[in-house]
Amino acid sequence: MISHRDRNAQRISALDERAEALHLKRGMGIADARAMHPSIDIVEADPEADRRLLEGLADWCDRYTPLVAIDGADGLFLDVTGCTHLFGGERTMLDEILSRFFHQGFDVRAGLAATPGAAWAAARFCGDRIVAGGEEEGLLAPLPLAALRIEPEIRASLESVGLRTAGAVMAAPRAPLARRFGATLLLRLDQALGRLDEAVSPRLPVAPLSVERHLSEPIMLTADIERLVSLLARALKSDLERRGEGARMLALLLFRVDGAVSRIAVGTSRPLREPVLIQKLFHERLAALEQDIDAGYGFDLVRLSVLSAAAFDMQQADLAGEAEDSDADIALFADRIRARLGEAAVLKPVVVESHLPERAVTTVPFSEVPQRRAPPRQRNTPPATVFPPERPIRLFRSPEPIEVPATEMPEGPPMNFRWRRALYRVARAEGPERIAPEWWRRQPGEEEAPTRDYFRIEDSDGRRYWLYRQGLYGASEVPPRWFMHGVFA
Amino acid sequence: MAMTAVARETVFALRRQIAKIEGTLPERLAAPAAVQPGARADTDDGGIAPERTPEITILRRGIAVASPDAFLRTGVERLDAALSGGLPKAALSEIHGTETRDAGAVAGFALSLTSLILRQEPHLPVLWIGTSEIFREAGFPYARGLHGLFGIEPEQLLFSEAPKLVDALWIAEEAARMTALAAVILEIRGSPQRLDLTATRRLHARAQNAGRPVFLLRQAGEAEPTAAPVRLIVSAAPAASRDTIAGPLAGSIGRPAFTVSIGKSRTALPGQFTLEWNPDEHAFEERERATNPVAVVPASGRRTHPAPASGAVLAFPAVGSFAAGDQPSRPQRPAHISPRRAG
Repeated sequence: MISHRDRNAQRISALDERAEALHLKRGMGIADARAMHPSIDIVEADPEADRRLLEGLADWCDRYTPLVAIDGADGLFLDVTGCTHLFGGERTMLDEILSRFFHQGFDVRAGLAATPGAAWAAARFCGDRIVAGGEEEGLLAPLPLAALRIEPEIRASLESVGLRTAGAVMAAPRAPLARRFGATLLLRLDQALGRLDEAVSPRLPVAPLSVERHLSEPIMLTADIERLVSLLARALKSDLERRGEGARMLALLLFRVDGAVSRIAVGTSRPLREPVLIQKLFHERLAALEQDIDAGYGFDLVRLSVLSAAAFDMQQADLAGEAEDSDADIALFADRIRARLGEAAVLKPVVVESHLPERAVTTVPFSEVPQRRAPPRQRNTPPATVFPPERPIRLFRSPEPIEVPATEMPEGPPMNFRWRRALYRVARAEGPERIAPEWWRRQPGEEEAPTRDYFRIEDSDGRRYWLYRQGLYGASEVPPRWFMHGVFA
Repeated sequence: MAMTAVARETVFALRRQIAKIEGTLPERLAAPAAVQPGARADTDDGGIAPERTPEITILRRGIAVASPDAFLRTGVERLDAALSGGLPKAALSEIHGTETRDAGAVAGFALSLTSLILRQEPHLPVLWIGTSEIFREAGFPYARGLHGLFGIEPEQLLFSEAPKLVDALWIAEEAARMTALAAVILEIRGSPQRLDLTATRRLHARAQNAGRPVFLLRQAGEAEPTAAPVRLIVSAAPAASRDTIAGPLAGSIGRPAFTVSIGKSRTALPGQFTLEWNPDEHAFEERERATNPVAVVPASGRRTHPAPASGAVLAFPAVGSFAAGDQPSRPQRPAHISPRRAG
């Protein structure tokens, strides 16, 4: 028996058959139940875990249709339009779903109808019923108002005027109903009867293309999975070719025999349709995830979906048959690295117009760089100054504070400094180069950042560093602080 | 030379096979003609291959195994001569820094070499792989600085940061086999166990097959046995002053300078060189004490002489006959006890 806390009282939220046999009811106080039967076993409710379980089941139901939606805390919608014939008709499919759930240890009730509302009512109030199109009215009429998916307040007020079944509501004139009980009631009614369309919003985006293979003998080995991926990718290739597209994002779904579903996604930097290349990407991904994927008793359904596709530019090879494809090589290489080590494994610098050195270059993951077809453009704009300020070749991600005991002049370079607990003697210094904070980026109310005076420093061993002093001597009570920001060649 | 022509043919074919099995490591027994024309006459059995191939070739046991294209010439004749033609282009090359704080100089030297490579392959990208540790300790490459100093466009740069050394090595192995990259720089810190002879051999073999260089930067690392044919030890050298019309500008910090010593090479004897990188020409220049006196920096009270004697001054010594003074007895010396027998 599971309890939950509702308005300062522990109440029963769910209970099994044996507890029901003891005449305990949902919503009853725990104290009352204990008084009736001291030996009952009570577990605290865990809605998070329930939710996770439901999502796991929804994942599993993906094998029947890509359109799976979660309904409330305890229901799933499966839009099986156009899928039933794959499983031998509606009845066979429903039976299979039920028996599979039963063998996994779930007590499931299901209904199948032409509208979500009718299916919902059939599942909850009739059980295992298939409602043919047009029979919704007959199904709903004898059912209580709860079958209409309306809020308890509306239900209570409808009951207070004597409308106790859905049939009674249907028979009543519409206009007064709408005026008195709001538009929701009629909306739900119309949706259940198929007069209005109701869209089931799937919890996962529906892949434009998917290929799958049911296996009579479950597979466990990674090598087998990879072989299957290349088979599926080959099937996918002709579809992609017909659409003139290549895959930008691919997902591999592995349905385990006992219901667990593994989802493995890989992204590509450019549209892809070659089965070999797709297989290579998944090879890296599977190698990286080897520990995380638990094959258990094996996978009995493997599906390869294209989550997003983009137009695939055909490139004409030159006469020798060798297209200039060094870009493609790089993209493929980057994809493989990213498949194994994550999105940020290959970075590309992007130059940004900014005075602040750490803002002037950002790095973005390789895939986000806009694809360029043209060769590197020639810089038409002349540089702002003839001698651009020298910049270090390495920059610390966050400037490291250094201790500067003394400077020759208040605004001058340090004579020596202590960085990472080692003392450096300054042999030569160039500077300062003053870099003021970018006032136009300052948020209103934010304090203005102090200016930085940068110095190029060469220490007594000939190493060159980039230091800066934040703030000015005497400008405020806090003495300025010194930082190490970069290293020169 | 008393053998019959047929027997000689067989011998050479066998030798060629041996050279192939051992890896086409460019080795010099006879110097390239451009460097020292007289040297070829000295080799006893080397007279055959050069006659067949009229262009200059590098000889290995008298058989041509590598053309001068296989070398990246640094442009500094003394260093090129010491390395018998330059750094091998299709190979793993180690560049060591003795301390982490030398990371700027080591990276700068590797990028200078990369910049030289990009002169021939101007549009290919450069991949820089590093562990998170080294990027945290020594700083992340800064694209603006790289562009200003080495002329490498930001669009050409690719960085890869791996949290673990295993991943960095894996990326490097994948990258080393690609011909679409101009160069691969793998930067790590210290002397990890995992980067052993086998791992470097794999990198080296892939670099050889792809024909692209892989630079292995090891910051604060010990000299360990690796498969790289060349190891250079780089540290920062005090820069010369900036040149102005009125002469050197006192107290200024000019072009980057490096002290490079050959830590390991199958062909060269250890030596030390002070190189200066010219960011405008994208070329190395060797600094010679006589022509480029660093005494222009005023020796004020608190400043020491910024340029200690770096390397020995020798005017283009004959290859293979280094003056004794040019071979400082360094700890790396034992690796070269038998440079000619190696391989």
